[in-house]
Amino acid sequence: MKIDKVPEGTKLTINVSGRLDTTTAPQLDEELKASIDGIESLIMDLDELEYISSAGLRVLLYAQKVMNKQGEMIVRNANEQIMEIFEVTGFSDILTIK
Amino acid sequence: MAVVSKKSDNGQMSIALSGRVDSTNSPQVKEQIEECLQDFSGGPLVIDADDLEYLSSAGLRILLQLRKKYADLRVINVNSEVYEIFDMTGFTQMMTIEKAYRVVSIEGCEVIGQGANGTVYRIDRDNVVKVYNDADALDDIQHEREVAKQALILGIPTAISYDVVRVGDSYGSVFELLDAKSFSKILSNEPEKLDWCVDEYVRLLKKIHGTLVPEGTLPDMKETVDKWVSFMKDYLPETYYEKLKALTDGVPHDDHMIHGDYHTKNIELTGDEVLLIDMDTLAVGHPVFELASMYNSFLGFSEYNHEAIKKFQGFDYELSQKFWNKVLRKYLGTEDEARIRDVEDKARIVGYTRMIRRSIRRGGLETQDGKAEIDLWMGELKELLDRVDTLTFESEELEIEADIENLPEVMSFIEKRLEKTDCSLKDINQISVAAEEIFSNISHYAYAPETGAAYIRVETSEDPITVTLTFMDGGMPYDPLSKEDPDVALSADEREIGGLGIFLVKNIMDDIEYKYENGKNILILKKEIQK
Repeated sequence: MKIDKVPEGTKLTINVSGRLDTTTAPQLDEELKASIDGIESLIMDLDELEYISSAGLRVLLYAQKVMNKQGEMIVRNANEQIMEIFEVTGFSDILTIK
Repeated sequence: MAVVSKKSDNGQMSIALSGRVDSTNSPQVKEQIEECLQDFSGGPLVIDADDLEYLSSAGLRILLQLRKKYADLRVINVNSEVYEIFDMTGFTQMMTIEKAYRVVSIEGCEVIGQGANGTVYRIDRDNVVKVYNDADALDDIQHEREVAKQALILGIPTAISYDVVRVGDSYGSVFELLDAKSFSKILSNEPEKLDWCVDEYVRLLKKIHGTLVPEGTLPDMKETVDKWVSFMKDYLPETYYEKLKALTDGVPHDDHMIHGDYHTKNIELTGDEVLLIDMDTLAVGHPVFELASMYNSFLGFSEYNHEAIKKFQGFDYELSQKFWNKVLRKYLGTEDEARIRDVEDKARIVGYTRMIRRSIRRGGLETQDGKAEIDLWMGELKELLDRVDTLTFESEELEIEADIENLPEVMSFIEKRLEKTDCSLKDINQISVAAEEIFSNISHYAYAPETGAAYIRVETSEDPITVTLTFMDGGMPYDPLSKEDPDVALSADEREIGGLGIFLVKNIMDDIEYKYENGKNILILKKEIQK
């Protein structure tokens, strides 16, 4: 997995690529905790994300909870396979997916 | 008084020293040695110190001068007192000095085992010696000691010889006598232990095949198989030879360990430990090569004459057949008869090739029985070559330590198997998510805070395509289905982080069954693949 952060003032774009699974999710969790303070708009760009498991979903849920308090979070460019996973878990309803 | 004598053989000059060499006789000794070397134009020079009792610094100086003149100098058969002099003066680092091998007599000793390359005798209460048939076996002995050491370092339970000795004109390795019984003996005398033997035998086999060997430590079995195959060029019709060569060429390089002679006489039970012995054939390679030699041991060599197995293993052909079938089933982790026979056929191709070569080289074609046996094997081999298209196969069951660090290996094991089916990328992805969830649960909770083994099996069937994943562990009984589903209709703020995993699994898979049997958690997950 690779994490690429693009900060622009109170807006933060995070590009996640590769596999977001049990072994890599803690990394994203740490990155988020380190940079989410003061952010009002968080964009999770999943264009190059190939795989997500429940450990990855947990991190997204955490980010969504934080952003609900301080602004908004948008998930974009999720591919078909990732969308399927969002669907079966009901995540497609709680995340703002574009 | 020292005596000098010479012997030359194949360009190698050997000078024997006996008695004492000190300042009183060193000038004469030097003169005599020079006389011996008058016509010697160079090449290997050996000083045989078998009868040498003492060497003073004057004697050492003679050797030093010889070493300057003849680079290829070796001092052999040095007794331990003289060796100590060489060692203290640093000579052992300046030239090749070989200790005398302890001489062991096997007269009147009990024979406790006989193998292809040697005989094992019990020399006293606590020790046995394996005497090699070949008088030039020293290199082989060193090789076996070296590979046995490597295997032990890599975690394979084995016995290591602690001394090399001379036995008559040959050499032997000395081992501590273990209060051990070979699996052949157990199978012959306690047939009720058949299933136990199968379990332990396969457990050790899987451990060997799961051991990754650092490059260059062990010989590559494929090179040996290539030799067997080239031998067949003169004995097989060209099209068959080409097919055989293409098949063996197609077996990929594999850095996992194989034993090379894994039959039940080489597996011993001592106390409650199962030991692997006879390590000289240890190599790296694809498991099909191992199965080939196993097939030969249990069936191939006695296919023509079913009585042969009795002499070799102590049990009969029928039991051997039963054992082999159970082993193969367990090793492959399947009950699917067609698949078992399929893998057996691959092993037989390599097996027959080896037996035919071996028999022809030993004059098999010159006797009627030998010829009939070779004809039988040839017939089987050709029939197999007509219909088998690859020698590779993969096990359907993975046994791995339940550690989350092993997740990538588990994922690749599952994905590789699914890629061979008609599953779409989407299906593979979803099944992977489910598998990750289960493996991660086992890793984190089943054995906590200890660790243990997890078993993963992937099976597929047709019409409709159905994938079945089975997870097993020997940890705490735990039914993941007992967990209540999270309410997915809740908003992010209302939802708990976690508890999602098993819910996800339930949604992805069509059918999940949990049972606890024989101390194991067994979780069977099924998914039907829509085309």
